[in-house]
Amino acid sequence: MSAEHIPADLLWQITRNYSALTVKRRPATAGGVQFSRDPLNLTNKHSRKYDGYINPQAIGITPGSNGGVNLLTKKSGKSNKPAGELQTASFGKGTTPRKTYRNIVNATTKRGYRPDLRHEAVARASAIRKSERAPKDTPARKARGVKAKKAAEKA
Amino acid sequence: MTSRPTVTIIGADGAATKNTHPLPNVFKAPIRPDIVQTVHTGMAKNKRQPYAVSEKAGHQTSAESWGTGRAVARIPRVSGGGTHRAGQAAFGNMCRSGRMFAPTKVWRKWHQKINLGQKRFATASAIAASSNAALLMARGHRVSTVPEVPLVVSSSAFAITKTSGAVALLAGIGAGADVDKVKKSKKLRAGKGKLRGRRHRQRRGPLIVYNPDSDSKDIVRSFRNIAGVETSSVYSLNLLQLAPGGHLGRFIVWTSGAFEALDKIYGSSTDPSALKKDFLLPSPVVKQPDIGKLINSSEIQAVLRPVKGGAITKRGVTQKKNPLVNRQILLRLNPYASQYSKDKLGSTKVDDGKPDKANKKFLGMVQENA
Repeated sequence: MSAEHIPADLLWQITRNYSALTVKRRPATAGGVQFSRDPLNLTNKHSRKYDGYINPQAIGITPGSNGGVNLLTKKSGKSNKPAGELQTASFGKGTTPRKTYRNIVNATTKRGYRPDLRHEAVARASAIRKSERAPKDTPARKARGVKAKKAAEKA
Repeated sequence: MTSRPTVTIIGADGAATKNTHPLPNVFKAPIRPDIVQTVHTGMAKNKRQPYAVSEKAGHQTSAESWGTGRAVARIPRVSGGGTHRAGQAAFGNMCRSGRMFAPTKVWRKWHQKINLGQKRFATASAIAASSNAALLMARGHRVSTVPEVPLVVSSSAFAITKTSGAVALLAGIGAGADVDKVKKSKKLRAGKGKLRGRRHRQRRGPLIVYNPDSDSKDIVRSFRNIAGVETSSVYSLNLLQLAPGGHLGRFIVWTSGAFEALDKIYGSSTDPSALKKDFLLPSPVVKQPDIGKLINSSEIQAVLRPVKGGAITKRGVTQKKNPLVNRQILLRLNPYASQYSKDKLGSTKVDDGKPDKANKKFLGMVQENA
């Protein structure tokens, strides 16, 4: 049973101009973007749609401790119980990226849980998986022109 | 309302005890950041001490203007000779060693009177906002390990006399992260404030609210040396502590004794408070502020006409489709097109034989006339 319920729209109006989670580097009037430090924010943009702490349902994708990604969702009816509010599922680095995306979609969009965030959730998981891959070495430069001819003569 | 929401009372280890307490009415007060902010700006001014520059500053010289005709400005100039000071301009705010413009006076209006009703409204509003985890996070409190907000801890857990016990209690109830945040946040203040008794800046941690009637006085002593942690009596809650900086959502730890006293102190929106003269809790202007819930309520949905057109709805202005490229659009415009393509009429060749030659009899008749 939740304590006094405050709708998300009101919470957004209260916190949209200042919040500990917002990052304001350039003012919005100067073309700046406001970012959010919220772990339940898939795009890190401070907005009504993406900010997870005000929405009753929200998705967070964070890097796993041993590679892979963690999927965070909010449990319903636990908004006043912060310690038990988050549901965590982890997809380790053994899970292929495609399976990870499918699991994320199956756990959220397919169950009617924030279907509007499907693309962002997959994109974030993909970005995290990509960052976990060791970058490939740049291939050795091929000799061109005169140098190539000289190399061919030598060989 | 049939059933009032209840709040679990938790023990020293953070686990729920068997006891619960109905949510006091003050938590249903409307949340009004505008009122809280204006009251806060007023209240924040009420602890100021007067300051001013010396009354004599810039005027301790017998300067007189030289008047016109000496090819210098007519500003008063220090009289005499023998020092560099002689002949220098004095008194004016633009002068070196002159007095400042509009010297500050101790009789400035330092304090603000704030309407009592507004102050009470703001306090109630700030208390109500402290029951929302999202607002606590937005204020910057680390509450992800807190079992429940509002956080009510059994008064028996507060039978401590030592700071070490208080630290252990805070860690046990999940407030350790917030205390650590304060400890790490301590920084040297920028500017002259360092010399004026405000050497460091740090975040605010949890506010412990106790009931002086039932809880021991040791609470104050055991918590007072923990950085960022403040204690307050439930009978004298202060907006400067409930909404620091005018921002809603202070993390409050209530002792169960204090929590139980809230209904007595603030009353409800219908029963006047027992302790505050002529005070009824403000009630929200709208019963249901959630617009989504309003729209989807059975009352609204019952009087709406059903959607016209059923499953097929006419699209608004969209991009025009090219019937030469989009087959479905072509069929809608020209139903014959399907039969045309089925018969492959588009790819059959026109009979390419040359026309039959006219027979000789016919030609003869034509030429006869000529």
